[in-house]
Amino acid sequence: MRKFITGNHAVAEAVRLCRTQLVAAYPITPQTPIYEKLSDWEAAGELGGHMMRTESEHSAMAACLSASLAGIRTFTATSSQGLALMHEMLHFASGCRTAVVMCCVNRTMAAPWAFWSDQTDSLSQRDTGWIQIYCENNQEALDSVIQAFRVAEQVLLPCMVVIEANFISHFMEPVEVPSQRRVDSFLPQINIPKRFELENPGFAVPVVSQAQYQRYRKLSQEAMAYALEVIEEVDQEFGDTFGRHYGFVEEVGTEGAELVLVTTATITSTARVVIERLRQEGHKIGLVKIRVFRPFPVQTLKKTLDSAPKIAVIDRNISLGREGIFCSELKAGLINASARAHVQGYLAGIGGTNVSPSLIERIVKDALSREDIVDEPIWIAEENSC
Amino acid sequence: MLEIKFHGRGGQGIVLASQMLGLAFFKAGNYPQCYSLFGGERRGAPVVSFLRVDENEILLKCEIKQPNELLCFDETLISPQELHNQMVPGSKILVNTGQSRGYFKRFLGFTLGLVDGRAVAEQFGLGHMINTAMVGAYCRLNGNLALKYVFEAVREMVPAKEKANLDAVRQGYSAVSIIDSERVT
Repeated sequence: MRKFITGNHAVAEAVRLCRTQLVAAYPITPQTPIYEKLSDWEAAGELGGHMMRTESEHSAMAACLSASLAGIRTFTATSSQGLALMHEMLHFASGCRTAVVMCCVNRTMAAPWAFWSDQTDSLSQRDTGWIQIYCENNQEALDSVIQAFRVAEQVLLPCMVVIEANFISHFMEPVEVPSQRRVDSFLPQINIPKRFELENPGFAVPVVSQAQYQRYRKLSQEAMAYALEVIEEVDQEFGDTFGRHYGFVEEVGTEGAELVLVTTATITSTARVVIERLRQEGHKIGLVKIRVFRPFPVQTLKKTLDSAPKIAVIDRNISLGREGIFCSELKAGLINASARAHVQGYLAGIGGTNVSPSLIERIVKDALSREDIVDEPIWIAEENSC
Repeated sequence: MLEIKFHGRGGQGIVLASQMLGLAFFKAGNYPQCYSLFGGERRGAPVVSFLRVDENEILLKCEIKQPNELLCFDETLISPQELHNQMVPGSKILVNTGQSRGYFKRFLGFTLGLVDGRAVAEQFGLGHMINTAMVGAYCRLNGNLALKYVFEAVREMVPAKEKANLDAVRQGYSAVSIIDSERVT
């Protein structure tokens, strides 16, 4: 059924359709409408699962990972400071090989205090061992949550579905909400090891030796490699069932392109409009959207970008003291490619500032005309926004 | 593509008005995209909300900077100079106002819809909530959206006083006075 809903509402629809048994969360803007929608359904007896209103995000994640260890399908949602407060428990959730699914609504980190889209919150959790999927629009947000449960439960790694403040969370758009029957056929009942047994109590987090710790880390890294396979299989099966699939990376017109623009999340959507117009005008510009950030799809990106003479990466995030994080990751991923491309990083949309078609066009023109690549990121903003 | 701005004050139902119209366009078979700028808004402070409408999927995930339609819930928030800076020339502008047509002679180059939303709301016991009167008036000003879709959207979305709100839509639709840009000049 097609509905006119926000991205937050779309995520809540997916959580309900996935027959999530436990939702433990703490409200924070701009994620709160997810929590509120699920609470409304619980109050009306339409949720199916249980809501657990915890006293902090740290506790929310502790509850989710514990429930997952008991074999329960769990979900939480948060943003910004809430995600930062969860940080310690994120390591536990992946280290314990749980299948927790979370929606992170990207929001600026304090200080200063703001409410807008900025990916630095979720990207700061890069090394916590979570799968991360970045969404472009409301439909992809809904679809990715459904896919995330399949992936997390098969791989036994937690999965973060990332949407953006405002541009997804609060934008209302038409969204295809699949039927319960079809979601049930795609996502079977949860069947993961039950590691908490009341009759047989034990430690979920053993104390280990150096060598044992190293072995655990190696196993988790192997699980990430396995996740790449599973994400692809699940996405293809999702496409067969629902008619929509996304890939790790999506490429538009990269073949023979003089310049390939690399984007993530909602900037991709606006860039599609610009790229189509420029291509009609005869410019050889391609577009690559990076959707899966962890595990990072290095082989796919090498294949996709190997023949691109110039690459421009747009980041709505910053690792202070370096550059945009997707740009750094991409450079590292391409370092051993056969024909090493020149990669120029651009910062646009930081703090949720507007990334309009004309701003993207300025980036394209700058990248095309630039003789020398600079190692520092180039800040591009609309007038009056900086 | 229509790019519509809603401008008013916190407490007037601006956000809900944009969402109701979005839903009405959706029901009419269009592709709408609606958003509001949430921040530190408070009751009485200026609030803006936006709606794009097209026949095809809208890919733009950025702000509307130069709308081609405006619903102004508070006439003190607009001046002719600001409208010329902000709006596409020839835009349709709906204003909630108790002023006569003469007052709007200064607004050259726009098609104006004037409606006393406050009087309509009070007539049906809706107090300050003028959004349904404005949505009804907009429907007539726009001219391409059938009123039945607005009724359906209002029925789905208003939290209370359904009949009064539907009456306000109907009365807003009838009461709006439209001045073509040519006639103003």
